[in-house]
Amino acid sequence: MTHQSGFQPPRIAAWLVNLFTSNDHAESIAGDLLEEFSVVESKSGIGSARRWYWRQSAKTVVCLVGTGFLIAPWSIVGALIGGCVLLWFGSSLPERAIIGFLDLRRHHVMPQHSRLDIYVFWLNTIILIGRLLFGLLIGCVVAIVAKEQEMLATITLGFLYGPVNAAVLMTLIGGRLWADYGWRMLPHLMISTVGCPLMIVVGGVIVRATRMAILRRRLSPCG
Amino acid sequence: MSGRDYLGEFEHIVILALLRLAARAYGVTVRQEIEARTGREVSIGAVYATLDRLQAKGYVKSQLGEPTPERGGRSKRFFRVTANGVAAVNRTHRALRKMIHGLDVIGGYA
Repeated sequence: MTHQSGFQPPRIAAWLVNLFTSNDHAESIAGDLLEEFSVVESKSGIGSARRWYWRQSAKTVVCLVGTGFLIAPWSIVGALIGGCVLLWFGSSLPERAIIGFLDLRRHHVMPQHSRLDIYVFWLNTIILIGRLLFGLLIGCVVAIVAKEQEMLATITLGFLYGPVNAAVLMTLIGGRLWADYGWRMLPHLMISTVGCPLMIVVGGVIVRATRMAILRRRLSPCG
Repeated sequence: MSGRDYLGEFEHIVILALLRLAARAYGVTVRQEIEARTGREVSIGAVYATLDRLQAKGYVKSQLGEPTPERGGRSKRFFRVTANGVAAVNRTHRALRKMIHGLDVIGGYA
C-alpha cells in the first residue's frame, strides 16, 4: 500500500511535531506522517509532499497545543505558578550574585578610574548573560515539573513573562530611568522582554529533546 | 464514565471510522477514511487528540503493532472500539433520532 520514498520529510517540521507530542503517541504520529508523506511524494512529487507535510505538522502542533491544556491542566498551571514565583523572587539573583562576587574581589582588584567604562561595560554584559542563563534554568525547571507538557508550559510562561516585563520596564522608562540612562537601557529591555522568554522556551526544548532521546533509546531494539 | 455521556461531533465521526475500519484502524487509515467520507481535511494531531479523549473515557483501546520500514522503523498504533464505546454510539444515535423525529426539514437520518 505504501511506497518507500528516498526523500526525507522536512526535518524542522518533524522536529516541531516531536516537541509537542506526548510520549505515548510520539512514535505513532511521526510514523503516520512519514508513511503518508511517502504516498503523497509518489503521487504528486516531492514539492507537494513537503507542502503537505508542513501543513499537517502545523495543524497537528496547533491541535496538540490546544488540547494539551485540557489533558493536563493542573500540571501546567502548577508549573506556571512555580515558574512565576521563581522568576518573581529570583530575577535579581544573577545581578546580586555577580555584584556580590565583584565586591568580594574589590579589595584586591579595584578598577582604575581610566578603565571604569570598560569595567561597567563588562559588568553589564555579564549581568545580561546571567539573566539569560537564569531564564534557561527556569525554563528547564518548569519543563521538568510540567512532565509531558514541557513545551506548552514554557511557551505559556514565556508569553506571560515577556509582556509583563515589557509593561514594567515601559513604566520605568517612561519615568526617570530613561532620562538618566536613555538608549543604554535598550539591551536590558531586549533581554528582559525577548531574550529571557526565549531562553525559558529553549529550556523547555532542551528538557523535551532529552526526554525524547531517552525514550527513543528505550524503544530501540538494541537499547 | 457516567453512562449518560454523548459523543461530541468529531468523537462521533472518529469512532464511526474505527468501526468501519475494524482491525485496520490506525492513525493514517482513520484520517483517510474521515477525509474520503466527509470531504473534510483533518490533521493527524486532531485524530490522535480525539482518540486520546475517547481512550480516557474508556470507549477506545489501543495497541502497538510491529515496526515497519516505510515508517522509518516506527510502529503503528492500532485502535479498536470497546463495548462501552459501542454503547456510547448507540446512545448518541438514539438521542439524535429523538431530536430529529417529526422535523420535516431534515430527512433521511432514521
